Amino acid sequence: MTKKIKRVYGYLAEFETASKLYKGAEKVRDAGFKKWDCYSPYPLHGLDHAMGLKRSVLPFFVFFGGLIGFCTAVALAYGTQVMIYPTVVQAKPANLATIAAFFPIMFELTILLSGFTTLFGVLALMGLPRLNHPLFASKQFQKATDDKFFIAIEVRDSNFNKEETKALLEGAGGSNIELVEEEI
Amino acid sequence: MGHFVTSNDIPAGGEKLPDSKFKVAQFIFGGIALVGFIASIAVLCFNVGGKELQGSYSYSWLFALAFFLTISIGGCFWVLLHNMTNSGWGVSVRRVMENVGFVYPFIFIFTIPLLFPVVQDNLYEWMTAERKATSAVAHADKMFSTDENMGGFYGVSEAVKHKLNEMHYALLSAKSWFLNSVAWYVRYIFYALGLSIVIFRLRKYSVDQDTDQNPTTERLYKARGASAWGIPILGLTITFMSIDWLKTLNYTWFSTMWGVYVFAGSLMASMAVVILTTRFLKAQGYLNKFVTDEHFHIMGKLMHAFVIFWAYVSFSQYMLIWYSNIPEETMYFALRNTEGWFYLSNVLVFGHFALPFLLLLPHWAKKKPRYNTCICIYLLIMHACDMYHIIMPQRGPSLSNIWHLDNAPLLFIQGNYMWIGDILAWVTVASGFLFFLIRNLKSVNLYPNQDPRILESANMSN
Repeated sequence: MTKKIKRVYGYLAEFETASKLYKGAEKVRDAGFKKWDCYSPYPLHGLDHAMGLKRSVLPFFVFFGGLIGFCTAVALAYGTQVMIYPTVVQAKPANLATIAAFFPIMFELTILLSGFTTLFGVLALMGLPRLNHPLFASKQFQKATDDKFFIAIEVRDSNFNKEETKALLEGAGGSNIELVEEEI
Repeated sequence: MGHFVTSNDIPAGGEKLPDSKFKVAQFIFGGIALVGFIASIAVLCFNVGGKELQGSYSYSWLFALAFFLTISIGGCFWVLLHNMTNSGWGVSVRRVMENVGFVYPFIFIFTIPLLFPVVQDNLYEWMTAERKATSAVAHADKMFSTDENMGGFYGVSEAVKHKLNEMHYALLSAKSWFLNSVAWYVRYIFYALGLSIVIFRLRKYSVDQDTDQNPTTERLYKARGASAWGIPILGLTITFMSIDWLKTLNYTWFSTMWGVYVFAGSLMASMAVVILTTRFLKAQGYLNKFVTDEHFHIMGKLMHAFVIFWAYVSFSQYMLIWYSNIPEETMYFALRNTEGWFYLSNVLVFGHFALPFLLLLPHWAKKKPRYNTCICIYLLIMHACDMYHIIMPQRGPSLSNIWHLDNAPLLFIQGNYMWIGDILAWVTVASGFLFFLIRNLKSVNLYPNQDPRILESANMSN
């Protein structure tokens, strides 16, 4: 007989509506929590503000990703077609004035690398892909993809306190508050 | 997020500019426009300042017209798009768009000089040629001028075609199914009426809702329906207007992207005007709770999108012409890459696209009032450069041709202060534009206070 070991993930509180979730999130934000998250079946405009999230750093990555794509294209097209092996097409010059012919390549590679940076940057910032999430241990959490809204506060947060956090979630309008434990 | 806007924040009867506001400005602008317009008509149509002034001022006038017509047509487009897509975000700025768009019927008055053959002769070589051919045929013996050979909307008569070929205008004779005076005047009437009716109706739906005791969603649906057939009218108007008035400055030139090129620049400039107007009203203390940074963020994004779209279209046009290297097409760019115009072309490449593209990238560039205002003004200057680049390089060659100045410099005509005329014409039409914009703003509420989605728009976040 093996003994099951469980690890506490944190509190999960259910909210009936999006506006209750919104107001609850503002209270949790004001209580100074950092390691917590909201879950809803659909995107909520303005929730990032209610959660006190800062702007994502993703745009900077994308800008430099696009810049790298642009420079690659310039080097690839201009370097090969003008500098290394000047290619004369339809008696057009092979010099700086040829650059108009390379614009489609610059455009495409800028877009391509910006797109890649966006996709992989988003995945990396979200910590995806992952095989499992501790919240999946909760039965009621399945409703997060249907009609219920949730706030989960992790036990790793330095402000976490077994009684006070539960009271805070209750005061914020949460119901069915559950201490989620995952088996390891 | 701060304070949520509720229906308690909407004053009864809506918010309106008081009658005393901008009275002096309106008076000054109206006066300049009136005096300038009368003087311009005297110069253009009645040849008061002499032949040379008339010739060069025709181009100045067309430049000013092109600049402000594109802006007001763009204003109509934003209204149409907003209604058509059933948007909620922009309800609080929709009235500003409607007011910018509704300048169109008024600013169209300034195009009246284009109807005069004396002005057309300086601008459109094909019209002169057609008139010469027609009068030559009329004076010759009447053998061709039987009834079945009469010219009309679908082209000039066979006799005139024959005469045009004789005069070495074979290309014009081949294009006469589109380029003929009857069709040109019919299209002029279409430009004058079509879009004017569209924007008048849309603004009326919107304005009537403000005072209705029982404001339902009925008018929104009607506006949506009217926008569905208004969009094709706008597309036809701006495409054929740009072909008729701008492209045929050189009737031998071919380009299949002309309409969308002018359209792209027009939308960017009109969004800049909408943003500037909204910012100005906010700085004056109006629209305070209803237009937030979020609205400016979205409008800035749209403007940024059309900075890119303009570059996309204008580069596509350039590259296709450059690559295929056909003389009938390259002449447009050959002219604009010669002498001083080369620098203006490069100003457009870097100033109309590269610089504003980077300047508008950060999110705060669309939200910070002063920075954003500067960019909008800058983009309007670039739009003026764009229109100047379209129209003015043709002035030298055309006028030298008309005046038989074989030894004169082809591109610039020396000893002539044409640029003063460009500025005066621009100031005249600009004053007219501002006069009618202020008139539109003052005549109605500043935002649709009884629109069902006004609160959604005011509390919007993106």
